[in-house]
Amino acid sequence: MKAGAEWAEALCGTSRQIGVIVEKTSIRECEVVRDYTVRVRAFINGGVGFATTRRLGEEAARRCAENAVELARATHPDPDFVALPSPAAAQAQIEGLFDDKLAGLAAAEVVRWCSQGIEEARAVAPDVALSGGGDLVVSEMALASSTGVAVQRRGTHVQLGYFAVVQRGDDVGSYFDQDVARRLLDFEPQGLGTKATTEALRFLGARKVATARLPLVLGPFAGMGVIASAIAAANAESVQRGRSCMVGREGTQIASEVVTVTEDPFIPAGLASTAYDGEGVPKRRLTLLDRGVLTTYLHNSYTANKAGVENTAHAAWGGGITTSNLVPTLGDKTEAELIAELDEGIYINAAGLTPDPVTGDISATIDFGFKIEKGELAYPITTTMVGSDIFELLGKIDAISSDYRSEPGQIMPTVRVRDIQVVGGG
Amino acid sequence: MERVIRTAARKGVDFADLRITDSTNTSIMVQDGRADKISAGEALGAGLRVLVDGAWGFAPTNNIAERQLLQALDDAIAMARTAAPSVTDPGMVAQIEPVEASVRTEYKIDPRQVPLKERVAAIFALEEAARQQAGDKLANVVASYGDAVTTMYLANTYGTYLQVEVVRCGVNVFVTATDNGELQWASKRRAKLGGYELISSLDPEQFAGEPARKAVALLSARPAPAGTFEVIIDPIICGLLVHEAFGHNCEADAVWAGESILEGKIGQQVAHESVTIIDDPTLPGLNGSFVYDHEGVQARQHRLVHEGTLESYLHSLETAARFGVRPQGSARAQGYSFPPIVRMSNTFVAPGDCSFQEMLSDTKKGLYLTGGNWGYVFTARGQFTCNVEEAYAIENGKLGQHYRNVSISGLTLETLRSVTAVGNDLRFELGGTCGKDGQSMPVDAGGPHLRIRNVVVGGRG
Repeated sequence: MKAGAEWAEALCGTSRQIGVIVEKTSIRECEVVRDYTVRVRAFINGGVGFATTRRLGEEAARRCAENAVELARATHPDPDFVALPSPAAAQAQIEGLFDDKLAGLAAAEVVRWCSQGIEEARAVAPDVALSGGGDLVVSEMALASSTGVAVQRRGTHVQLGYFAVVQRGDDVGSYFDQDVARRLLDFEPQGLGTKATTEALRFLGARKVATARLPLVLGPFAGMGVIASAIAAANAESVQRGRSCMVGREGTQIASEVVTVTEDPFIPAGLASTAYDGEGVPKRRLTLLDRGVLTTYLHNSYTANKAGVENTAHAAWGGGITTSNLVPTLGDKTEAELIAELDEGIYINAAGLTPDPVTGDISATIDFGFKIEKGELAYPITTTMVGSDIFELLGKIDAISSDYRSEPGQIMPTVRVRDIQVVGGG
Repeated sequence: MERVIRTAARKGVDFADLRITDSTNTSIMVQDGRADKISAGEALGAGLRVLVDGAWGFAPTNNIAERQLLQALDDAIAMARTAAPSVTDPGMVAQIEPVEASVRTEYKIDPRQVPLKERVAAIFALEEAARQQAGDKLANVVASYGDAVTTMYLANTYGTYLQVEVVRCGVNVFVTATDNGELQWASKRRAKLGGYELISSLDPEQFAGEPARKAVALLSARPAPAGTFEVIIDPIICGLLVHEAFGHNCEADAVWAGESILEGKIGQQVAHESVTIIDDPTLPGLNGSFVYDHEGVQARQHRLVHEGTLESYLHSLETAARFGVRPQGSARAQGYSFPPIVRMSNTFVAPGDCSFQEMLSDTKKGLYLTGGNWGYVFTARGQFTCNVEEAYAIENGKLGQHYRNVSISGLTLETLRSVTAVGNDLRFELGGTCGKDGQSMPVDAGGPHLRIRNVVVGGRG
């Protein structure tokens, strides 16, 4: 502020990450990464200057602030900027975001998890090529602004994941599995090597399919990925700039009535749980999709002020707009029942179904999937694409499963969609 | 640096290297007729890597005081020793001659010396030109600019002491057009190794007008068809294809890990005999160009495929040792906090002798695919996806119906064996970054027009 900013905000973060890399079914590398960042946003006449430094020391931090002001001076005035948020108390204290047990673990423990995964994978397929590894992160961030906002958060995060490849002549099967958690008690490293390799074997013998309109069954990763990407496209910044497929869609039906999604930032130990957004505004529970209706755009302070609406507290820590934990309302049939009802269709484990954020078009390869025949997964598929758009795909959802894959704070059910263009190389 | 490396050698490591990088960057975003956001960043830090008893240890730090570097060395050794008992496939490095050199990017105008207001004005002119061209169909223009200056100091236990200063500039114009609630977009970017002359030499009307006209034209284009087609791809998609579908499979770390369809295929036919593929970091001024890689190995051209036959992979010091070949300078790291890994540089299909017009005239039915912004591949299965900005129907050798953004998919070897014509018009227009193992790296890619049979086009009917 001394340098001349009218409004200013500083974010300081530190982290320590222990990582272990697995390559060709062997431990390869172990690393410890310590990082430190200061980011300053300065506003003059609404224009924003944004400076970052990863140099240590008070002098570097002071220079970072002065740079932000100098940059703000070079911007043009923005009449839509009103103010940074004022301080407010959080609606809830969230348990389980920092785990002393996890923070206290040594690198040897991550190595042990990885060695166990390698043994598991080899037990399933001695010739498996396993890659991946684990990360253990301890981080802390503090945010302060010229309006008096002063919040901090610290967290722990552990992740272990593998990609398994099995080869039989020219035939290759591959797949992945992972586990993530904030607390040691939620973390289940056992069995990941087994699961990744067992699934990789299922993808041997992939075939091409014919081009046709078919029902899709989107497994947990693919299903929740599509729904989350639609919600992400409701970013108010993109909407207000006129470059989002969600322009004019607030308050309208964008998905079928079976789709209801609530954002719950307060789930204990949830991966995306947070008491405040990235501008220090208290988070709250929100129903974002209510029986298919998009209830709100995702706002930060700037977009909310510009639109003259209440701030939905979706500013991301470090910049941008994002959501916390998304919790879909479940249906009453299991994934197996949803598949069993189909004479023919495509099951998608993973695909790049994220729509073009501007047009909403979806033109995606099914990276991992199966042909469904007579109510069962018949065989894995290759070189198969989906041609659609986000509104067709969401509008044709006819069921959400009752069972689901879960990670802390994350519920990922299976989603079934009627009559979508499938493009095959067969 | 010398003392830290000497200490590493005294502590009995098999190999150690220390990279210190000092970097600054500036970015400018202009939209809605205003310089909307201006950012700058700086970073200083060191990445210390050791090989001990067959295990790698890595410990970056952003405190480069000698005491802290020695602490990072101890951390890296401790990490490697923690991993070593569990290593079943010990790491190794190829022996190289030490290098003592100081090199810098050749440039005419240092971007740091150009007043910020002048840089803002230049990007404002691009935004304005795009707005003018889009006219009443304009929804939004984002014109953005970035420059970065990085000095890397590298020392290793082979005796290498290297100082490399790198200057980069880039610009991007993203135009969204609208009509009756319909939105379409197009973009144009340029990123190169070099100075501010990249920006000052641009003609705003020409550079920013192109995506504006394209976005408006796409409003009246139809959704792309679905099915398998003979396609002609332009040099941009050729670059995407050769980088994503083929180049990643040539990275020897993927080959060693059992995750490449090219494993064991050196000397074998992997593409149509008309196809020659090269990765060349020595091409002047392209975004993927460099003089030394981040392990201190001098850059050189790599001929990956010659007339359809696989000739070589891309190597780091480690993969060169594993495959028993001479290191060829393909290891790079995003910054001090990442270890070097095998990366492509400027990857391209060498031009043939067929003009685009000949290729088109000789195609009875198919699609002409142009422009593209992203792609990815699963190397183990060789299944790739490439984005296409726009398409045209080909009927009896002539371009017809205009189609919108779509993606194509295929199996790498099947696709490269299905090439039926190679154009004579090599271009590089993909200057950008490539993501791998969490690291983003400047690269370029290109090629001529190619015609390929049986490409899956993910359209809508």
